[in-house]
Amino acid sequence: MRRLMHTFLSKTRLAFGRSFFPLFAIAIIAGAALWGPWVSLLVTVLAFGAALRLL
Amino acid sequence: MSSAALAAPAPPNRSRILAHPQDLHCIAFHAICLLAYACAFWLYLHPRFAGITGPWSRAAFVAAAAVMLGWISGIDVGVNFHNHSHRPIFTSHFVNRWFGRFWTFSGGWPSFFWEYCHVTIHHANLLTADDWTLPKQNPDGSFENFQRYLFTHWPWRLMVHLWRDLTARQSLRRRSSRELAIFLALWSIPFWINPVMAIWLWVLPHWIANAFIMNSGMYVQHAGCVVKTPAKPVTHSTVFVSNFFNLTMFNIGFHHEHHEHPRVHWSELPELHWRLKQAMIDGGTHVVPYGNYHAAFLLAGDDARQKRFAEQDSNYTPHL
Repeated sequence: MRRLMHTFLSKTRLAFGRSFFPLFAIAIIAGAALWGPWVSLLVTVLAFGAALRLL
Repeated sequence: MSSAALAAPAPPNRSRILAHPQDLHCIAFHAICLLAYACAFWLYLHPRFAGITGPWSRAAFVAAAAVMLGWISGIDVGVNFHNHSHRPIFTSHFVNRWFGRFWTFSGGWPSFFWEYCHVTIHHANLLTADDWTLPKQNPDGSFENFQRYLFTHWPWRLMVHLWRDLTARQSLRRRSSRELAIFLALWSIPFWINPVMAIWLWVLPHWIANAFIMNSGMYVQHAGCVVKTPAKPVTHSTVFVSNFFNLTMFNIGFHHEHHEHPRVHWSELPELHWRLKQAMIDGGTHVVPYGNYHAAFLLAGDDARQKRFAEQDSNYTPHL
Protein backbone atom coordinates (compact mmCIF):
# COMPACT_ATOMS: atom_id res chain seq x y z
CA MET A 1 0.00 0.00 0.00
CA ARG A 2 2.81 2.38 0.94
CA ARG A 3 4.60 1.55 -2.31
CA LEU A 4 1.43 2.22 -4.31
CA MET A 5 1.00 5.53 -2.52
CA HIS A 6 4.62 6.45 -3.20
CA THR A 7 4.25 5.63 -6.90
CA PHE A 8 1.02 7.63 -7.11
CA LEU A 9 2.56 10.66 -5.37
CA SER A 10 5.68 10.44 -7.51
CA LYS A 11 3.66 10.36 -10.74
CA THR A 12 1.42 13.20 -9.56
CA ARG A 13 4.45 15.29 -8.68
CA LEU A 14 5.91 14.68 -12.12
CA ALA A 15 2.64 15.50 -13.91
CA PHE A 16 2.11 18.76 -12.04
CA GLY A 17 5.80 19.65 -12.03
CA ARG A 18 6.17 19.32 -15.78
CA SER A 19 3.03 21.36 -16.41
CA PHE A 20 3.91 23.88 -13.71
CA PHE A 21 4.45 26.90 -15.98
CA PRO A 22 1.28 26.61 -18.11
CA LEU A 23 -0.82 25.86 -15.00
CA PHE A 24 0.69 28.91 -13.33
CA ALA A 25 -0.07 30.98 -16.45
CA ILE A 26 -3.72 29.89 -16.39
CA ALA A 27 -3.92 30.76 -12.69
CA ILE A 28 -2.58 34.26 -13.41
CA ILE A 29 -4.79 34.87 -16.46
CA ALA A 30 -8.02 33.34 -15.14
CA GLY A 31 -7.23 34.70 -11.69
CA ALA A 32 -7.80 38.19 -13.06
CA ALA A 33 -11.50 37.33 -12.86
CA LEU A 34 -11.13 36.85 -9.10
CA TRP A 35 -8.66 39.51 -8.03
CA GLY A 36 -8.52 41.87 -11.01
CA PRO A 37 -5.87 42.59 -13.64
CA TRP A 38 -3.58 44.66 -11.43
CA VAL A 39 -2.90 41.80 -9.02
CA SER A 40 -2.26 39.49 -11.98
CA LEU A 41 0.26 41.98 -13.35
CA LEU A 42 1.96 42.30 -9.98
CA VAL A 43 2.26 38.52 -9.58
CA THR A 44 3.60 38.23 -13.15
CA VAL A 45 6.30 40.82 -12.48
CA LEU A 46 7.25 39.10 -9.20
CA ALA A 47 7.31 35.66 -10.83
CA PHE A 48 9.47 36.80 -13.73
CA GLY A 49 11.82 38.61 -11.35
CA ALA A 50 12.06 35.53 -9.13
CA ALA A 51 12.84 33.31 -12.13
CA LEU A 52 15.66 35.63 -13.24
CA ARG A 53 17.13 35.64 -9.73
CA LEU A 54 16.63 32.04 -8.68
CA LEU A 55 15.95 29.81 -11.67
CA MET B 1 22.39 2.59 -20.55
CA SER B 2 24.68 1.01 -23.17
CA SER B 3 26.06 2.74 -26.27
CA ALA B 4 23.74 0.64 -28.41
CA ALA B 5 20.79 1.70 -26.31
CA LEU B 6 21.74 5.36 -26.71
CA ALA B 7 21.60 5.09 -30.48
CA ALA B 8 18.58 2.83 -30.69
CA PRO B 9 15.17 4.05 -31.86
CA ALA B 10 12.39 4.22 -29.29
CA PRO B 11 11.10 0.79 -28.26
CA PRO B 12 7.43 0.14 -29.03
CA ASN B 13 5.20 0.46 -25.99
CA ARG B 14 1.86 -0.93 -24.98
CA SER B 15 -0.18 2.12 -25.86
CA ARG B 16 0.87 1.97 -29.57
CA ILE B 17 -0.08 5.65 -29.84
CA LEU B 18 2.78 7.29 -27.98
CA ALA B 19 6.39 6.44 -28.76
CA HIS B 20 7.24 6.77 -25.04
CA PRO B 21 4.82 6.74 -22.07
CA GLN B 22 6.34 9.94 -20.61
CA ASP B 23 5.39 11.85 -23.77
CA LEU B 24 1.87 12.16 -22.37
CA HIS B 25 3.29 15.06 -20.34
CA CYS B 26 4.30 16.82 -23.58
CA ILE B 27 0.73 16.64 -24.88
CA ALA B 28 -0.66 17.84 -21.54
CA PHE B 29 1.76 20.80 -21.55
CA HIS B 30 0.74 21.87 -25.05
CA ALA B 31 -2.99 21.40 -24.34
CA ILE B 32 -2.75 23.59 -21.22
CA CYS B 33 -0.89 26.24 -23.25
CA LEU B 34 -3.70 26.36 -25.81
CA LEU B 35 -6.21 26.50 -22.95
CA ALA B 36 -4.32 29.50 -21.50
CA TYR B 37 -4.61 31.31 -24.85
CA ALA B 38 -8.33 30.49 -25.04
CA CYS B 39 -8.80 31.76 -21.49
CA ALA B 40 -6.98 35.03 -22.22
CA PHE B 41 -8.94 35.58 -25.44
CA TRP B 42 -12.26 34.97 -23.70
CA LEU B 43 -11.48 37.37 -20.87
CA TYR B 44 -10.26 40.02 -23.33
CA LEU B 45 -13.56 39.73 -25.21
CA HIS B 46 -15.61 39.74 -21.97
CA PRO B 47 -13.77 42.48 -20.07
CA ARG B 48 -16.20 42.85 -17.17
CA PHE B 49 -15.39 39.30 -15.99
CA ALA B 50 -11.68 40.22 -15.71
CA GLY B 51 -12.25 43.47 -13.87
CA ILE B 52 -11.32 45.48 -16.95
CA THR B 53 -13.00 48.85 -16.56
CA GLY B 54 -10.94 51.12 -18.81
CA PRO B 55 -7.80 51.41 -20.92
CA TRP B 56 -5.39 51.19 -17.97
CA SER B 57 -6.89 48.05 -16.46
CA ARG B 58 -7.02 46.56 -19.98
CA ALA B 59 -3.33 47.36 -20.40
CA ALA B 60 -2.59 45.66 -17.05
CA PHE B 61 -4.48 42.52 -18.13
CA VAL B 62 -2.79 42.47 -21.54
CA ALA B 63 0.69 42.94 -20.01
CA ALA B 64 0.20 40.11 -17.49
CA ALA B 65 -1.39 37.75 -20.00
CA ALA B 66 1.09 38.49 -22.80
CA VAL B 67 4.11 37.86 -20.58
CA MET B 68 2.69 34.61 -19.21
CA LEU B 69 1.57 33.40 -22.66
CA GLY B 70 4.94 34.29 -24.14
CA TRP B 71 6.76 32.53 -21.33
CA ILE B 72 4.87 29.26 -21.73
CA SER B 73 4.91 29.41 -25.55
CA GLY B 74 8.69 29.78 -25.45
CA ILE B 75 8.92 26.60 -23.39
CA ASP B 76 6.23 24.85 -25.44
CA VAL B 77 8.12 25.32 -28.71
CA GLY B 78 11.73 25.79 -27.58
CA VAL B 79 11.75 22.83 -25.21
CA ASN B 80 8.61 20.73 -25.62
CA PHE B 81 8.32 20.67 -29.43
CA HIS B 82 12.12 20.63 -29.52
CA ASN B 83 12.03 17.17 -27.93
CA HIS B 84 9.45 16.06 -30.50
CA SER B 85 11.71 17.23 -33.33
CA HIS B 86 14.41 14.82 -32.11
CA ARG B 87 12.17 11.97 -30.94
CA PRO B 88 8.64 12.19 -32.42
CA ILE B 89 6.14 11.48 -29.66
CA PHE B 90 3.63 9.43 -31.66
CA THR B 91 4.16 6.14 -33.43
CA SER B 92 2.27 7.41 -36.51
CA HIS B 93 4.20 9.66 -38.94
CA PHE B 94 0.96 11.29 -40.07
CA VAL B 95 -0.04 12.20 -36.50
CA ASN B 96 3.48 13.43 -35.75
CA ARG B 97 3.42 15.76 -38.76
CA TRP B 98 -0.02 17.21 -38.05
CA PHE B 99 0.41 17.44 -34.27
CA GLY B 100 3.67 19.28 -34.93
CA ARG B 101 1.86 21.80 -37.12
CA PHE B 102 -0.70 22.41 -34.36
CA TRP B 103 2.13 22.57 -31.82
CA THR B 104 4.38 25.36 -33.11
CA PHE B 105 1.79 27.73 -34.59
CA SER B 106 1.08 28.97 -31.05
CA GLY B 107 4.76 29.94 -30.78
CA GLY B 108 4.93 31.84 -34.09
CA TRP B 109 6.62 29.08 -36.09
CA PRO B 110 5.82 26.63 -38.88
CA SER B 111 6.96 23.30 -37.39
CA PHE B 112 9.04 22.36 -40.43
CA PHE B 113 10.95 25.66 -40.24
CA TRP B 114 11.74 25.24 -36.56
CA GLU B 115 12.84 21.67 -37.08
CA TYR B 116 15.06 22.72 -40.00
CA CYS B 117 16.73 25.46 -37.92
CA HIS B 118 17.30 23.24 -34.94
CA VAL B 119 18.16 19.82 -36.31
CA THR B 120 19.60 20.54 -39.78
CA ILE B 121 21.45 23.73 -38.87
CA HIS B 122 22.09 23.92 -35.11
CA HIS B 123 22.79 20.29 -34.22
CA ALA B 124 24.68 19.48 -37.40
CA ASN B 125 26.92 22.58 -37.26
CA LEU B 126 27.14 23.40 -33.55
CA LEU B 127 29.27 26.51 -32.91
CA THR B 128 30.77 26.49 -36.42
CA ALA B 129 30.38 29.38 -38.88
CA ASP B 130 27.47 27.50 -40.50
CA ASP B 131 25.38 27.52 -37.31
CA TRP B 132 23.41 30.70 -37.99
CA THR B 133 20.90 29.88 -35.25
CA LEU B 134 23.41 30.92 -32.58
CA PRO B 135 24.65 34.46 -31.83
CA LYS B 136 27.34 35.84 -34.12
CA GLN B 137 30.86 35.35 -32.79
CA ASN B 138 33.43 38.06 -32.17
CA PRO B 139 36.98 37.54 -33.50
CA ASP B 140 38.00 36.10 -30.09
CA GLY B 141 35.22 33.48 -30.31
CA SER B 142 32.96 35.12 -27.73
CA PHE B 143 29.30 35.74 -28.52
CA GLU B 144 27.94 39.09 -29.64
CA ASN B 145 26.09 41.28 -27.15
CA PHE B 146 23.22 39.45 -25.41
CA GLN B 147 20.59 42.13 -26.07
CA ARG B 148 21.58 42.53 -29.72
CA TYR B 149 21.02 38.82 -30.32
CA LEU B 150 17.66 38.86 -28.52
CA PHE B 151 16.28 41.74 -30.54
CA THR B 152 17.69 40.96 -33.98
CA HIS B 153 17.55 37.17 -34.31
CA TRP B 154 13.81 36.37 -34.42
CA PRO B 155 12.32 36.98 -36.91
CA TRP B 156 14.69 39.28 -38.81
CA ARG B 157 17.91 37.29 -39.21
CA LEU B 158 16.02 34.02 -39.29
CA MET B 159 13.85 35.16 -42.20
CA VAL B 160 16.93 36.02 -44.28
CA HIS B 161 18.65 32.70 -43.57
CA LEU B 162 15.53 30.63 -44.03
CA TRP B 163 14.73 32.38 -47.31
CA ARG B 164 18.25 31.64 -48.64
CA ASP B 165 18.26 28.01 -47.49
CA LEU B 166 14.70 26.96 -48.22
CA THR B 167 14.48 28.51 -51.68
CA ALA B 168 17.78 27.02 -52.81
CA ARG B 169 16.34 23.64 -53.86
CA GLN B 170 13.05 22.96 -55.59
CA SER B 171 12.02 20.11 -53.26
CA LEU B 172 12.66 22.25 -50.19
CA ARG B 173 10.93 25.24 -51.79
CA ARG B 174 7.77 23.25 -52.48
CA ARG B 175 7.61 21.76 -49.00
CA SER B 176 8.38 25.10 -47.33
CA SER B 177 5.62 26.85 -49.27
CA ARG B 178 3.09 24.20 -48.24
CA GLU B 179 4.14 24.35 -44.57
CA LEU B 180 4.08 28.15 -44.59
CA ALA B 181 0.56 28.15 -46.06
CA ILE B 182 -0.69 25.73 -43.37
CA PHE B 183 1.00 27.82 -40.69
CA LEU B 184 -0.51 31.08 -41.94
CA ALA B 185 -3.98 29.51 -42.05
CA LEU B 186 -3.67 28.43 -38.41
CA TRP B 187 -1.80 31.51 -37.18
CA SER B 188 -4.41 33.88 -38.66
CA ILE B 189 -7.28 32.41 -36.59
CA PRO B 190 -7.07 35.00 -33.73
CA PHE B 191 -7.06 37.82 -36.31
CA TRP B 192 -10.40 36.60 -37.64
CA ILE B 193 -11.81 36.73 -34.10
CA ASN B 194 -10.52 40.21 -33.20
CA PRO B 195 -7.49 41.83 -34.91
CA VAL B 196 -6.63 44.12 -31.97
CA MET B 197 -6.80 41.22 -29.53
CA ALA B 198 -4.59 39.21 -31.90
CA ILE B 199 -1.89 41.90 -31.82
CA TRP B 200 -1.79 42.03 -28.00
CA LEU B 201 -2.51 38.42 -27.01
CA TRP B 202 -1.06 36.52 -29.99
CA VAL B 203 1.69 38.46 -31.80
CA LEU B 204 3.12 40.08 -28.65
CA PRO B 205 3.35 36.76 -26.73
CA HIS B 206 5.05 35.17 -29.75
CA TRP B 207 7.63 37.94 -29.79
CA ILE B 208 8.21 37.48 -26.04
CA ALA B 209 8.44 33.70 -26.52
CA ASN B 210 11.03 33.97 -29.24
CA ALA B 211 13.08 36.99 -28.20
CA PHE B 212 13.16 36.49 -24.44
CA ILE B 213 12.64 32.78 -23.82
CA MET B 214 13.95 30.88 -26.84
CA ASN B 215 16.73 33.28 -27.92
CA SER B 216 18.01 33.73 -24.37
CA GLY B 217 17.98 29.94 -23.99
CA MET B 218 20.06 29.48 -27.13
CA TYR B 219 22.50 32.15 -25.94
CA VAL B 220 23.10 30.81 -22.43
CA GLN B 221 23.34 27.17 -23.50
CA HIS B 222 26.45 27.84 -25.60
CA ALA B 223 27.94 31.14 -24.35
CA GLY B 224 31.62 30.72 -23.50
CA CYS B 225 31.71 27.28 -25.13
CA VAL B 226 33.94 26.08 -27.96
CA VAL B 227 33.33 23.91 -30.99
CA LYS B 228 33.80 20.18 -30.43
CA THR B 229 37.26 18.93 -31.37
CA PRO B 230 39.28 15.82 -30.42
CA ALA B 231 41.27 18.04 -28.03
CA LYS B 232 38.12 19.59 -26.47
CA PRO B 233 35.31 17.08 -26.89
CA VAL B 234 33.01 18.09 -24.00
CA THR B 235 33.07 21.90 -23.84
CA HIS B 236 30.47 22.75 -26.49
CA SER B 237 27.52 23.28 -24.14
CA THR B 238 26.74 24.39 -20.60
CA VAL B 239 24.91 22.07 -18.21
CA PHE B 240 22.24 23.51 -15.86
CA VAL B 241 21.67 21.15 -12.93
CA SER B 242 18.89 22.95 -11.00
CA ASN B 243 16.36 20.24 -10.02
CA PHE B 244 13.33 22.54 -10.20
CA PHE B 245 14.44 23.94 -13.56
CA ASN B 246 14.85 20.48 -15.05
CA LEU B 247 11.58 19.23 -13.53
CA THR B 248 9.61 22.06 -15.12
CA MET B 249 11.60 22.30 -18.38
CA PHE B 250 11.68 18.68 -19.61
CA ASN B 251 15.34 18.23 -18.53
CA ILE B 252 16.64 20.76 -21.07
CA GLY B 253 19.29 21.74 -18.52
CA PHE B 254 21.23 18.59 -19.38
CA HIS B 255 22.27 20.29 -22.58
CA HIS B 256 25.71 18.80 -23.07
CA GLU B 257 24.21 15.34 -22.74
CA HIS B 258 21.47 16.27 -25.20
CA HIS B 259 23.93 17.45 -27.86
CA GLU B 260 26.09 14.38 -27.37
CA HIS B 261 23.13 12.01 -27.63
CA PRO B 262 20.18 13.86 -29.24
CA ARG B 263 18.23 10.61 -29.73
CA VAL B 264 18.09 9.88 -26.02
CA HIS B 265 14.59 10.54 -24.69
CA TRP B 266 14.27 13.73 -22.62
CA SER B 267 13.04 11.77 -19.58
CA GLU B 268 16.24 9.69 -19.60
CA LEU B 269 18.67 12.62 -19.65
CA PRO B 270 19.19 12.71 -15.83
CA GLU B 271 20.32 9.08 -15.94
CA LEU B 272 22.63 9.85 -18.86
CA HIS B 273 23.96 12.84 -16.93
CA TRP B 274 25.10 10.62 -14.04
CA ARG B 275 26.70 8.24 -16.49
CA LEU B 276 28.68 11.00 -18.19
CA LYS B 277 29.37 13.04 -15.05
CA GLN B 278 32.98 12.01 -14.50
CA ALA B 279 33.89 12.51 -18.17
CA MET B 280 32.38 15.99 -18.00
CA ILE B 281 34.33 16.85 -14.85
CA ASP B 282 37.56 15.53 -16.36
CA GLY B 283 36.95 17.28 -19.68
CA GLY B 284 36.02 20.63 -18.16
CA THR B 285 32.36 20.90 -19.15
CA HIS B 286 30.85 24.11 -17.80
CA VAL B 287 28.23 23.18 -15.16
CA VAL B 288 26.16 25.70 -13.20
CA PRO B 289 23.75 25.07 -10.28
CA TYR B 290 20.86 27.15 -11.65
CA GLY B 291 18.78 27.21 -14.85
CA ASN B 292 18.57 29.22 -18.08
CA TYR B 293 16.71 32.15 -16.53
CA HIS B 294 19.33 33.10 -13.95
CA ALA B 295 22.02 32.47 -16.56
CA ALA B 296 20.28 34.96 -18.86
CA PHE B 297 20.13 37.45 -15.99
CA LEU B 298 23.89 37.09 -15.47
CA LEU B 299 24.85 37.25 -19.14
CA ALA B 300 22.64 40.30 -19.74
CA GLY B 301 24.56 42.21 -17.08
CA ASP B 302 27.92 43.92 -16.73
CA ASP B 303 31.34 42.22 -16.63
CA ALA B 304 31.03 41.31 -12.94
CA ARG B 305 27.73 39.50 -13.53
CA GLN B 306 29.09 37.76 -16.62
CA LYS B 307 32.06 36.50 -14.61
CA ARG B 308 29.64 34.90 -12.14
CA PHE B 309 28.19 32.88 -15.02
CA ALA B 310 31.66 31.55 -15.83
CA GLU B 311 32.00 30.09 -12.31
CA GLN B 312 31.78 26.30 -12.09
CA ASP B 313 29.36 24.39 -9.83
CA SER B 314 31.45 23.22 -6.86
CA ASN B 315 30.18 19.65 -7.30
CA TYR B 316 31.69 19.53 -10.77
CA THR B 317 35.24 20.70 -10.15
CA PRO B 318 38.00 18.14 -10.66
CA HIS B 319 39.53 16.74 -7.45
CA LEU B 320 43.25 17.45 -7.37
